[in-house]
Formats: sequence, structure tokens, C-alpha cells
Amino acid sequence: MSDSNAMIVTNGLTKHFGDVVAAEDVTLSARRGEVLGLLGPNGAGKTTVVKMLTTLIPIDRGNATVAGFDVDRNPEQVRRLIGLAGQAAAVDEKLTARENLELFARLYKLPRQRRHARIDELVERFDMGTFADRAASTYSGGQRRRLDIAAALVADPLALFLDEPTTGLDPRSRAEVWNSVRELAAAGTAILLTTQYLDEADQLADQILVIDQGRTVAAGTPEQLKAEVGRDVLEIHVPDDTDLALAQNLLASVAGVLIDPDRRQVDLPITSGAAQSLDVLRQLDDTGVTIDDFQLRRPTLDDVFLALTGSPTTPTEEVRR
Amino acid sequence: MITTAPAHLAPSARDRIRWAAQDTLTMLWRDMIRTARQPELLVFSVVMGVFFLVLFNYVFGGAIGSGAGVDYLQFLVPGVFVITALQGAQQTSMGFATDLSEGVTDRFRSLPMSQVAVIAGRTIADAARNLVGLVLVALLALVMGYRFDSAQGAIAAILLTTAVGFGFSWLGAAIAAKVRQPDMVGMLSMFWLFPLMLASTAFTPADSMPGWLQPFATYQPISVAADAVRGLCEGTPASTDIILAAGWTIGLLVVFVPLSVRLYRNGA
Ligand SMILES: Nc1ncnc2c1ncn2[C@@H]1O[C@H](COP(=O)(O)OP(=O)(O)OP(=O)(O)O)[C@@H](O)[C@H]1O
Ligand SMILES: [Mg+2]
Repeated sequence: MSDSNAMIVTNGLTKHFGDVVAAEDVTLSARRGEVLGLLGPNGAGKTTVVKMLTTLIPIDRGNATVAGFDVDRNPEQVRRLIGLAGQAAAVDEKLTARENLELFARLYKLPRQRRHARIDELVERFDMGTFADRAASTYSGGQRRRLDIAAALVADPLALFLDEPTTGLDPRSRAEVWNSVRELAAAGTAILLTTQYLDEADQLADQILVIDQGRTVAAGTPEQLKAEVGRDVLEIHVPDDTDLALAQNLLASVAGVLIDPDRRQVDLPITSGAAQSLDVLRQLDDTGVTIDDFQLRRPTLDDVFLALTGSPTTPTEEVRR
Repeated sequence: MITTAPAHLAPSARDRIRWAAQDTLTMLWRDMIRTARQPELLVFSVVMGVFFLVLFNYVFGGAIGSGAGVDYLQFLVPGVFVITALQGAQQTSMGFATDLSEGVTDRFRSLPMSQVAVIAGRTIADAARNLVGLVLVALLALVMGYRFDSAQGAIAAILLTTAVGFGFSWLGAAIAAKVRQPDMVGMLSMFWLFPLMLASTAFTPADSMPGWLQPFATYQPISVAADAVRGLCEGTPASTDIILAAGWTIGLLVVFVPLSVRLYRNGA
């Protein structure tokens, strides 16, 4: 790898199940300390990508490396460096949380002296104290999920794979997982995270890959993706038609301005953020336009997601409405 | 917190063997905890043996025994041992299929561990449970009036039976790795368990069977195991029987250890 910080790298990763194109030509990379969000609707191929990267299923075409090790040719080295919390919790139902963590710590060959401290630390971090000593078969969905994520972290992986880690978690546990993801990334772990929740990707991911039917439909930072879908819009409401006429005169030269007489609303595309908005508002004020209300609207990742994976209305139309 | 990647070289053959041993012990630890939490499995593993022991002795015992001109209980008990071991192998199959359906094996497959250890831990734990089950069956037999020739003979008989059961456990694991659904595994066991069990010298001597069945009934693994165990119990060990039983066991291991591992790894 030319970039020694690149931890998770794929090139043209492809997997078909019979006629189903589960992943087609997926190219991604996550560096040390970076969180890569894999976003896509049901059946998009997120789990398939995670399974290929974690050596669980063979790769049809393309290649993937983790910390420089080829996933196909050196699966054993790859397994030593990764942690996985799959979409379905993979813990031993007959064992307690502590026993599960001990089992995985042993299998990761963690030195005996470090095992117990590590287990206590994880039990603490994921707030499992109240149930850590009874069998996992008695756990609630969220409790099992927390144990599953803790199990993925036992050996301080260089690359962490989290397949929908917060599905089914209550807000508090979700915040806990978010914190852990941020901490781990800050400590240098590369994290590939799949999610259905756009706010989650927005909150956590440095880079986002949107896939649909196995194919990449967009890639970039959350900001870039939002910018691609639509610019920010300054929405201004005025009390009467005189104000509206004044505003119209003043802003007539601005490209893309929209006046809605029924609602006495002006929609103004903003290209250079808050400064431009303030400038516009100041000018209106100076001209004597009374302003009831204003709002700087940003396109959300929901807009992006729906736009890219085929929504009935595109967000840009929505803005102009 | 993050250290550099531990080893950039592929593990050596010695490392692999050490890890396989270490991982097998770890998995054995895990499977022993599971066994201890499911005492009903021990009950299930002896229930068929106890059932056959009681049923055949008290219900059919008179008829079969007088015909063969021997004390039927003396004939029956070694056969019941072997059947108990076979039942243990069936439990390996069910248990492993349950494991595979639970998803924890997905994690095992993503861990830097020896994959044979996943199955070895289970088959060894099941062998240990089998040993306990066999002792329980032996105690019941003693209560019913059975007599071993010597304590050493009894111990040797139980150990040989456990070894044969261990071989069959790998067959059971291979079936589970291929089929995966526990209920299917249960159904399938009818097809290998019952023919081996009933067309054998476990309950009746081969010469009482139809001629076409006799070659199979004499040399199939359950029969040679039953004959070998019978010799050990009676103080008349026959080396051919013991060699044949050991041979079958080794044969089962040679075929089904690699096969079960391959089937387990290839499953998605
Ligand atoms: N073993 C398999 N055999 C056949 N088809 C499969 C198999 N595994 C996955 N697929 C198909 O591949 C496609 C991608 O599945 P995948 O599980 O990767 O989706 P996903 O993005 O994780 O979806 P979700 O959000 O529902 O978890 C789906 O159409 C799925 O039905
Ligand atoms: Mg999925």
C-alpha cells in the first residue's frame, strides 16, 4: 500500500449469489482513526461487504486488504487484526457475558494477566454490570447487542467492523456505542460501520459510501454528499405584500431566488454560508423590510439517501416548492 | 493503545500446532461449562441405554436368552454400552448443529483461532460426558445383577467404548456441519443410527440373523465394538475384535476429522 495509514482497502470488490448482485465493484478505503459509514437500504449489500472483509465469505472478484494483508490470501493475519460485531449477535447463549468475553479473549491469545482487567473494563464501559454474570440466553436484545460489540473490542483491533451496531438499542445505549466508536477512532482504530440511520452516519462517519443493489451510488464526506444534493436555502417570511415587493426588488438579481406570494415567502439559495445569509438579512433590514421569521435550511442526509436510492421526489424540487 | 501489527510472517507449523492445542483446550473449557449447564443432556445420553437395558432384559430377555442358551443380561450389557456411546455421538451432531444455528460460530470463523478446535472441543467434551454416562449405565447394570469379570476389565471396556464413541462423534459433527438445521440432523440420525444399532451384535448374536445380513452384522463398527467390549467385560479379550474396533475408530477419525472441518469452514 502506498498509504501506510490505509487500514481497510478494497478494489472492485464483487460478490454474486446466483443472479443476485450482492456487491459489484465496491471500492473503499478507511485510514487509521477514520470511520467509514456504509449506507444503503435493505439488501443493498452492506453485510456482504462486511462478510467478505472479515474472511467469512470468499470474494468473487476484486481484492481487499486489511492493514496491508490480503483478505483472500492471508485470512489468518487479517483475523488477528480485526474485530467484528455482525448484524446478528454472535455470542454463546449458554455462557455469561464475562465468560463470553473470556472465551474470545483466550481465542485472541490475550495474555492471561491482561484478560481480567480487559474484561472488567469492557463490562464497565458497556454498563453490563447488572447482567454480566447470567447466561446470555436471558438477555434483552440490547443487552446482547452490547455484549456482542464488547466482544469485538476484546483484542483492541486495528480494524473494526460494525454491522448495524445500534439497531434495536435504546437512546442511552446508542449514545454509549457512539461514544465508543468516537473513542476508538480517536485512538487510531479504523472503523467500517454500516447503518440504516442517517443521523448515525452523519454523527460518526468521516467518509460515507452509499450503496444500492450492490453498487456504489455516492461517496464522500457527509458534507460533500449534502452539498451534492442541494445547497443551503435561506427561507424568509414577511408579514405583508409591501414587504414582499420590497424584498423582491432588492433580491431580483440573485440567481435562483424564489418568491411564493401566497405564503409571503422568499427562498434564497445560499452558496457561502452564514456570512451571506447575514448579509442578505442586513440588506433587507436596511431597506425597511419587516421580517417575521427566517430559517437557514440544510439538506439532510435523508435527502441524500432518498435522492440517491430512488425516491419519488428529489430534494431539490422539494426546496423549490 | 494501538500497537503495530503483531506478526508479519505467516505462522510456522509449530505455532499452528501450539495454537490448535491451546484453542482446543479453550473450546473444551467452553463446552464443559455448557455441558454442566445442561445436565439434561447427560440424562438424554443415558436414557436410550437404560431403556434398552431394562426393556430387552425384562421384556425380551426370556425369549432371546433361553434361545441363545446364555444369561441374556451378561450378553446385553456390553451391547448397551456401545449403543450409549453411539447415542452420545448423535448428541454431538445435535449440539454442533445447534451451535451452527446460533451464530456464535460466525464469530469463531472470524477469530484468529484453529478451526479444528471448534469441533475438537465439542467432541472431547462429549467424550467426557459419555464416560460419565457409561459409568451410570454400568452402575445400573450392576444393580440389575450384571457381573464384570474384573474391575480392570470394566475400566478397559468403558474406555474402549468411549474411544469408539469419540470416532462416531466426528461423523456426527460432519453431518451437522453439512446439514446445519438441528431438526434435520435429528431426522437424519434415523438413517445411520438405527441400522448400525439394530443390525448389530449389540443385542443378538449374528448367527441368529438372516444369512444375507450376517456379514454386515458381523463386521460393522458397532458389532466389532460390542464384541470387543464383551470380551473385556467377560475377561476373555479377543485381540482381533479389539484391533477391528480400534481400526474402525481410527478410520472414522481419518475420514471425518478433515471432512467435518472442511464442511464447517465452507458453510456461509
Ligand atoms: N447466502 C446468500 N444467498 C443468496 N443471496 C444472498 C445471500 N446472502 C445475501 N444475499 C442477497 O444479497 C443481497 C445483499 O444482501 P446483504 O445482506 O448484504 O444486504 P444488506 O445491505 O446487509 O441489507 P440489510 O440492511 O437488510 O441488512 C440481498 O439481495 C440478499 O438477499
Ligand atoms: Mg445487513
